Amino acid sequence: MRPARPTPWRPHLRLRNRVALGFGVMALLLSTAIALTVWSLAAHYVNRDNVLTARAEASDNAELISAEIADGVPPSDRLLDLLDYAPGTAAVLLVQDHVYRNQEAESLVLPTTLVQDLGADGGPSTVTVDGKPYLEVVSASHPGDRAYVELRPLDDLRHTLTRTWQLLIGAILLATALGAGFGLFASRRMLRPLSDVTQAASAIAHGDLTTRLVPRGDPDLDDLARSFNRTASELEQRVRADARFAGDVSHELRTPLTTMLNSLALLENRRAALPSEVAEPLDLLSEDLHRFRALVIDLLEISRFDEGRATVEPEPVLVGELVARAADTAAGRPVTVVRPSADGLVVNVDKRRLQLVVVNLVRNAETHGVSCRAVTVSAAGSTVRITVDDAGPGVPPDRRGRVFDRFARGTSSHVGTGLGLAIASRNVLLHGGAILVEEAPGGGARFVVELPVDVRRPQQHVASEPVEATPLGARP
Amino acid sequence: MLLVEDDPRVRRVLQLALRDEGYVVSLAASGREGLQALGTSTPDVVLLDLMLPDLDGFDVCRRIRHDSDVPVIMVTARTDSHDVVAGLEAGADDYVTKPLVAKELSARIRALLRRVEPARTPRTVRAGDLEIRVDEGVVLRDGVALHLTRTEFRLLAELALAPGVRSREELLERVWGYGYFGDSRLVDVHVRRLRTKVEHDPANPALVVTARGLGYRLVR
Repeated sequence: MRPARPTPWRPHLRLRNRVALGFGVMALLLSTAIALTVWSLAAHYVNRDNVLTARAEASDNAELISAEIADGVPPSDRLLDLLDYAPGTAAVLLVQDHVYRNQEAESLVLPTTLVQDLGADGGPSTVTVDGKPYLEVVSASHPGDRAYVELRPLDDLRHTLTRTWQLLIGAILLATALGAGFGLFASRRMLRPLSDVTQAASAIAHGDLTTRLVPRGDPDLDDLARSFNRTASELEQRVRADARFAGDVSHELRTPLTTMLNSLALLENRRAALPSEVAEPLDLLSEDLHRFRALVIDLLEISRFDEGRATVEPEPVLVGELVARAADTAAGRPVTVVRPSADGLVVNVDKRRLQLVVVNLVRNAETHGVSCRAVTVSAAGSTVRITVDDAGPGVPPDRRGRVFDRFARGTSSHVGTGLGLAIASRNVLLHGGAILVEEAPGGGARFVVELPVDVRRPQQHVASEPVEATPLGARP
Repeated sequence: MLLVEDDPRVRRVLQLALRDEGYVVSLAASGREGLQALGTSTPDVVLLDLMLPDLDGFDVCRRIRHDSDVPVIMVTARTDSHDVVAGLEAGADDYVTKPLVAKELSARIRALLRRVEPARTPRTVRAGDLEIRVDEGVVLRDGVALHLTRTEFRLLAELALAPGVRSREELLERVWGYGYFGDSRLVDVHVRRLRTKVEHDPANPALVVTARGLGYRLVR
């Protein structure tokens, strides 16, 4: 098979974030353009309006002054204070070298350029007086004779425009954020089918072969869902068929095994009557036939797991007693130590399966680990801990992860079925427990089984059902 | 004994090997043949394969139980299958899994045919309105004998002979001859069957009560 080429991918930014960024940038550009247009138009109209008003007011005032002066009576010094202005407006009147000011103008230090300007009827311009901006309107109705100037304060207007500009920038930022947020939301919605596929694929990779995608009614996406589901069910069928095959073969092997085992038993019962030359072949046959039987039984056991049909049938048992009985029988001598923490502890486990675990671990210690040194049962919190120590060379750290694989044999490959540890491990996992191998204190391998079972002490039963308070540990 | 098994080679080799263990084995190749054979002869024990070509093994078991108390050992494919419970509920006394070996079968048969060990003085235990005559193998209610199979009676007698709670493991050892790791479902299903015969309301047992998580107890 050709190795699959990796799809080129830009790892620095996720697709979802790229979409959000795109939306954000677009919102930024659009809102900036709109804000700039709005601002320039608004500034233009406000300024123009201001100039027109200023001119109209100044020329009205100039006419009033003309009317006043035309009488020939020298105008009073406070002439300019009688007129109407926009608030804060400074007015200056120059008549034959005599300068009249209104109240506002008197508090201002007028620049010298202003006085020079008074000679001509100039258009409105912006000047800075005392650090403040003013609109200067000059109305010279009789050039050379007299001139009238109004300085209309611009800081209110400028302030308003600055506020507007700030608001517009705020709006730009808000629009950008909203755009990016919308982009994120939309891309998430858009990518949800993709993340569904990712989740489903990862579920399948983790062993849940029944995972399927639910069609969402979108023709574009449903094609993907359909082909994904088809692939998944083909994979499931193939895996199940593989798993069934081992089970089916073992199943079929049991009929010829029955014939062979019983025929062998008949022969062995007549060993004395057989010629001496057949004694050794008979022993060889017997030994291998019994190993074969054990292998078929182990294969059947493990194929139940592969087919996903292994189930736990828990019942309350005294875990210390169960382990001791299983381990001591398997080792052929007392090897078990039940620590006080686990003494009399009742746990809910599948008796047959926990027995398999213990027996297989002890047998492994006896065959691959020279001999089983000790089995201990202890409890801490809601966990029961079973350790099996052997006197062998131990399991090197790089092989510890693989030791529970089927046929992951150690050094002596002529004993055992090669499935014992795999069966033990699967039974522990089926109970929701954990199994691992480490170095035993003083060398050798230590297999550790931890079962997080709902632990109950018999005393609690006694408390709730006093009539039935019988020590269960005592046995005839 | 009667062996009901459809595979001719297995039938033959088991007949030979069981004969070696001292049993006279008659053979039946199908459920019908087995039921016919039971009509004409009375074996001490029936070994019944659940996978039969004509009749469902559970049906055969129920029909045998309908007419007879003969101990039935069923042959199931796997220990962890629901066939075990279904077969026990259909009336089987015990079960074995393939591949069958004559020596192991023989041990099972001996355990089932075992009787309650007789005592010097006849023992009678009263529990509620039951009168259990342990050594005669009889249970009476108001003077009328109740119909129990041999295994059901031995289970009841075990509960009757020792006061207090009997754990499943203990009952497995005493009634079925199993070690500690016998299948507890044997006890549970037999207790259910026993209750349908001795309790007034089997759903709310008053005589054979469960000591939650520990075992069973006979209320006297």
